[in-house]
Amino acid sequence: MGRIILRAIPARPPALRDLDNRPRFSYVPAVAETATPELLPDVTEREQDKPKSGLEPGYLVICWNDPVNYMDYVTHVFQVVFGWPRQKAEFHMRQVHEQGKSVLARESLERAEHYVHQLQKYTLHATMERDA
Amino acid sequence: MKRLPDSRGRLEFHLGENERLLFEHLLRLYPVVPPAHQQITRGPTLLDAAAEQKLLDEALAEQRQQSRKRIEILLQDLARLKSAGNGSRLSLPPADLEWLLQVLNDIRVGSWVRLGSPDRKFENLPPGHLQHLWAMEGAGFFQMALLESLTTPSENL
Repeated sequence: MGRIILRAIPARPPALRDLDNRPRFSYVPAVAETATPELLPDVTEREQDKPKSGLEPGYLVICWNDPVNYMDYVTHVFQVVFGWPRQKAEFHMRQVHEQGKSVLARESLERAEHYVHQLQKYTLHATMERDA
Repeated sequence: MKRLPDSRGRLEFHLGENERLLFEHLLRLYPVVPPAHQQITRGPTLLDAAAEQKLLDEALAEQRQQSRKRIEILLQDLARLKSAGNGSRLSLPPADLEWLLQVLNDIRVGSWVRLGSPDRKFENLPPGHLQHLWAMEGAGFFQMALLESLTTPSENL
C-alpha cells in the first residue's frame, strides 16, 4: 500500500471548484506515482464501440465543472463507470476542474446514453451532445 | 466514523453516537436533488432530446424509489446493531458502497441546489438555509470516510 506523506490539503476535501481554500495539514495516503509521464487521450473510443456506419453520428459524453462535487469523488466515479485506471480518471477530473468540462467518451447513441445515466446516478453534471 | 477490519466479506465501520444520529438524519432526507435538476443535454444537438430526457427521468425516478427502500433496511440494521452507549456498527456488503456514495452525493448536491447553487462563498445565508449547509457538509463527511476506506486495505487496520 502507498506511503503516508504529510502535505497541505484544504480545510475540507477539495471540490472541483473549491468552496473554501483554507489550508490545513493532515495525513493523506500517497498517490501511486509513475516514473515517466504518460500521454492520455481526451476521448476514448474502442473499435467495437465506434458508430456502425459513417452516417451514424457519434455522441459525446461530457462532464461539466461544478463547485460541489469532491475531486476524489469524481475520480472514483470515472474509475467505476468507465473502468479507467486512477491516473486516467484523475486526468479527466483535472480537465473538468481546470477547463470547465471534459469529453469523456465518443460513443453510439445507446452507449452515450448509458454512460450519462450512470454518471447522473452519481449526481455528476454529465450530458450527451451530438458530435458535430 | 472509523473503519473496522472486514468481517465475513463485509465492510465494517464504527459510528459514534453523534455520528449515528447525523447519519440517520441525513439518510432520511433522501432524495434531495429536485427531479428537474438533472438534464440529459445542454445544447440543441440531440435529435430527440425530449425522449432522451424522459428516459433519464425514468431511470433516476426508479433509482430514487429503490434507494428509499434500501435506506429503510439500512436504518433498521443500524438500530439493530446499536451498541449500548457506544455508537453503532455499520456493516456493508462491498457492492453497497457505490449505492451509499450515490445516496450521500444526492444529499450533498441537492442541499447545495437548495442553497441556490452558490459558486464559492456561503455568505449571508438566511437562517432557514443553514440546515442545507449542514446537510451538505455532513453528507460530504461520510462520503470522504467511505472513499478513504477504498484505499485502506482491511488488513492494515
